[in-house]
Amino acid sequence: MKILDAVILALRTVWAQKLKSFFTLLGVIVGVTFLISVFAVVEGMNRYVQDDFAGSIFGINTITIERIWSGRGGRQDAQTRRRQSRNPDITTADAEALREEIPNIWYMAYNTDRFMPEVRSGQNKRKNVRLIGVTDEYLDLQGWEIVDGRGLTRIDDVRAIRVAVIGDAIAQKLFPDESAIGRDIRLGPFRYRVVGVLKRQGGFIGVIRDAAVVVPWGAFQADFSRRRNVVDGIQIKFRTEEAMVAGQAAAEETLRARHRLRPGQENDFDIETASEVLDAWNTIKNVLLAAGPGLVAVALVVGGIVIMNIMLMSVLERTREIGVRKALGARRVDITRQFLAESATLSTLGAAIGVAIGTGLAKLVDIVAPLPASVPVYAIIMGVALGLLVGIVFGVYPALRASRLDPIVALRYE
Amino acid sequence: MMPPDNNTVILTRDLKKEYELGAETVRALRGVDMQIDKNEFVAIMGPSGSGKSTLLNLIGCLDTPTAGQYWLGGEEVSQLDDNDLARIRNRQIGFVFQTFNLLPRTTALHNVELPLIYAGLPAKQRHEQAKAALDAVGLADRMTHHPNELSGGERQRVAMARALVNQPSLLLADEPTGNLDSATSGEIMDILVSLHDRGETILLVTHERDIAAYSDRLITLRDGVIETDQRHTIGEPVA
Repeated sequence: MKILDAVILALRTVWAQKLKSFFTLLGVIVGVTFLISVFAVVEGMNRYVQDDFAGSIFGINTITIERIWSGRGGRQDAQTRRRQSRNPDITTADAEALREEIPNIWYMAYNTDRFMPEVRSGQNKRKNVRLIGVTDEYLDLQGWEIVDGRGLTRIDDVRAIRVAVIGDAIAQKLFPDESAIGRDIRLGPFRYRVVGVLKRQGGFIGVIRDAAVVVPWGAFQADFSRRRNVVDGIQIKFRTEEAMVAGQAAAEETLRARHRLRPGQENDFDIETASEVLDAWNTIKNVLLAAGPGLVAVALVVGGIVIMNIMLMSVLERTREIGVRKALGARRVDITRQFLAESATLSTLGAAIGVAIGTGLAKLVDIVAPLPASVPVYAIIMGVALGLLVGIVFGVYPALRASRLDPIVALRYE
Repeated sequence: MMPPDNNTVILTRDLKKEYELGAETVRALRGVDMQIDKNEFVAIMGPSGSGKSTLLNLIGCLDTPTAGQYWLGGEEVSQLDDNDLARIRNRQIGFVFQTFNLLPRTTALHNVELPLIYAGLPAKQRHEQAKAALDAVGLADRMTHHPNELSGGERQRVAMARALVNQPSLLLADEPTGNLDSATSGEIMDILVSLHDRGETILLVTHERDIAAYSDRLITLRDGVIETDQRHTIGEPVA
């Protein structure tokens, strides 16, 4: 008997007992459904974290250079804190040196932030504002879009012109009924003219951007800076990840030289990348991917045992049939193959149903939740392959039992 | 001992079969010598416990003897292993059972195809041969029916088509009319007689004298040995 004949026979048997087959397959169906769902969610989360989440905080392929402040993390001992308090500031001179030394820079900007208790325009005011003094490429580098007016230019910066780009929440508050463009706002004693409004980001992360007032570095230096030429952070964006990795190394080297650090001495500055956020997500993902297969395995083993039991019952029920087949010339290998094909077909069918349900669930999540859940092809292949494997592994014993039946006894079986 | 000539289908020499039943050894066959030639129609009778089932199992290659020799169609089969016995059953023997033993949940045609599947024939050829065999027993219009849609006589005719589809050298019929009424039994026996006329070699096991009367030779068994072995004219009442 050929394999194909065996599979056709198996499909026929499965079809003849649809309901029983379905219940037999429940374990495998649940297992594979779960497998597909986990992979779909992980894959979706993965994309979400990489493209949206990490991108919106640090930007893709961007490094941020900051001073290490003492007391950060709260776990350092007194000695470390003392040493960190002596860390040099990051300065505009550092920034210009980095611009010279680092290859393949796409965008580069630096900024200094300051908390402002309020910003007002006439009678309208908004409390608790984040004032950011930036160089001209900052908005582009951060990917902050302008919905109204324009961004900041190099000329604004160099001439220290008092212009501002404001967040959506501030625009709503100060100019509820009209365009903010061309209007003045008061920041402390200074009058700044609004030239642009940022696109609303919204949500939890959006609080920072939507309540920000962004002004040119030159004007910020003149009006608000406590210490001239000191920057809070330097951001450098690259086109590719490879360029970023190379740039990170070059930045470290340049700053170590400028800060006169000896080999073996720790960095007195910090270089952050989006990869740190990604690392955190990767930890979560690894937990999911480690726990997922365990649960899938349990479901599949349970499913396999059910299949084995059903197959043993089936062998018993069909003892007479096995006897007849043997009398008509079936060899042991023919009988083994027949029952193996049956259990493998059964569980592969279950896996296919599981893939279908899992994919459906993923689609549902995709539509209902903001997660872009998508089923990776390798998960489908894996699901079906696992189904096949379960069917074969748990089908071996019943199939061998069937093949070893004595035809005389089997023919007499009632 | 020399292998039999071309005209001999079955030849046994001192065939013995013993079973261990607990501490006891049951000697089911105590030495059977038997020769059946081509185109003989032999009936085997005997009370229960006489060893006729055991003999049938040995002749049908479903079992191997404890001692003695058995040639089927010129090949010694008494010492073959499982796989070779399966091959012999597939090629040389056509079984007809008392309970028909058709597979439920599958069509008459598929049932008849079974021996051809195990012979490794391609699907197209299987269909053709199976159809021809069903045609030969007058069931051309019942091919797609399942066994439970057929009458007892029709089922036994499907079983006979299945037994013959591989053109075996021996047709083994074990109480083929045991589950049928007398009219249908007559039909089935008529088919066996016509097969015999066509040249088939038939071995029939029965406990009914009027069924045995269809044969042309009667062997009776008692206590594991042949008691009588006599030829007679077909239809003549047997003693």
